[in-house]
Amino acid sequence: MQSLAIRKLNVWYGRKQVLRDITVDIPLRQLTVIIGPSGCGKSTLLKSLNRLLELNEQVRVTGRVQLDGQDIYAPGVDATEVRTHIGLLAQKPFPLPMSIFDNVAYGPRIHGRTNGNLEEIVRSRLEAVGLWDEVADRLQAPATGLSVGQQQRLCLARTLAVEPEILLCDESTASLDPISARGIETLLCELKGRYTLVVVTHDIDQARRLADYVLFLWLGELVEHGPAGSFFGAPQHELTEAYLAREIG
Amino acid sequence: MKLNVRRRLEERFFLGLMRVFVATAAILLGLILLVIVWRGIGALSWEMVSQAPQGGFYLGKGGGILNAIAGSLLLATGATALAALIAVPVVLYIHVYAGQGRLTNLLRLALDVMWGIPSIVYGAFGFALMILLGLRASLLAGIITLALVVLPILARTFDEIVSMAPGQLREATLSLGTTRFEFLGVLLRQTVPGLLTALLLAFGRGIGDAASVLFTAGYTDSMPTSLLRPVASLPLAVFFQLSTPFPEVQARAYASALVLTAMILVISLLAHLSISRLGRHVIR
Repeated sequence: MQSLAIRKLNVWYGRKQVLRDITVDIPLRQLTVIIGPSGCGKSTLLKSLNRLLELNEQVRVTGRVQLDGQDIYAPGVDATEVRTHIGLLAQKPFPLPMSIFDNVAYGPRIHGRTNGNLEEIVRSRLEAVGLWDEVADRLQAPATGLSVGQQQRLCLARTLAVEPEILLCDESTASLDPISARGIETLLCELKGRYTLVVVTHDIDQARRLADYVLFLWLGELVEHGPAGSFFGAPQHELTEAYLAREIG
Repeated sequence: MKLNVRRRLEERFFLGLMRVFVATAAILLGLILLVIVWRGIGALSWEMVSQAPQGGFYLGKGGGILNAIAGSLLLATGATALAALIAVPVVLYIHVYAGQGRLTNLLRLALDVMWGIPSIVYGAFGFALMILLGLRASLLAGIITLALVVLPILARTFDEIVSMAPGQLREATLSLGTTRFEFLGVLLRQTVPGLLTALLLAFGRGIGDAASVLFTAGYTDSMPTSLLRPVASLPLAVFFQLSTPFPEVQARAYASALVLTAMILVISLLAHLSISRLGRHVIR
């Protein structure tokens, strides 16, 4: 994959406009964090990147999201194909109603990427998220039997098994206990370099820990964006400064 | 202080009232079971459930109601299967493809209206259809008519169950790059225990329905042998036996009702067992 570029993106829920004229390039194989107060459009922006927004019937989108120069909203582009390249880790872990093994095997199975070696794929993905040792002896057990933190790692393994190039994370640690949340953060840090990650959070400290690049949204507008060092070190906009100082938000 | 007394009295009064109604419902169910068992248990015998009627059965001579047991099982199973064949795709279509729109509302309204139509009306409709197609009263005609009776029950129950499936299931599945059709498979896995409940409800309603099969399935004293021949059914067996003037035949009617009730009970228990097994992976 070469690039992910957002151009003049506008999103409406019914008559309410939630994103205004967003234009930004997402850096490759880095971890980009989207921050901003609740309701500023962080999750909307994230879900516009793999066309999950469309599941809401009230949504209208204008503008372009270009993956390798190809607009994913262009007519004739299949949302299914887009989502194969751009995976999502949701806020709340949500295992599929099947066994631990089948959860991870699901993606490779439907995409026909098993190569007769499904066990190996499942094992490597579970190892990648540090779950293998915990579940190796109960792969056929229901995924719902896992703890919430384990479930979120399982969901990450499931997403990685589809072999996306871009991984979207929607406040993926918000519903976890602090230790599990740290575990997911560590995993995300390990994944950058190999994947392009876009992470939504409302936690400024987490953003500081994770980010290579930062987007700051305020009331649906992209106020400021830049590399983490200069963004946190010397914010250009007074709104950003106030938000980082926790005076607003 | 005064207000407190009033509120406490109000609480106690309505709690008491509700307990009375709960007890009434329980007592009614108990009474029904008691009457059927009390009147029917004496006539219940192995012969009763293992043989078809012999000559003079309705005058109190030998034989049993195996023809009606078999006929009812065939009718209800066939009708439930046929209704499921239509209802399951309709419901999945509503939830996976159609979304919340005019078509969906219209479909639900149509099913609700169908639910309210008395089964004798379906019987009359089935009868008219039979004449049109040149079909005689038969197992097949009975199955088709009964399928119409249970279709709305099956479809609306399953519809409600699919509505209860968590919204994130769709997001979680589709974000893996699945097609809607593949999502449909996941949705079905999530809702299979509920589907079984819906099938059971439909089956229970189907096996007990007399009016829709009266003209369409007919009645016969012989065992069912062909889709194109009439079959007996338990509700009609109860009806015919109860309308004779002979006490021993009337007792058999209660025994037949007992058999019908017991069959529904057994099927409920079986379904309950399989639901907990099938529900192993369901996300709650």
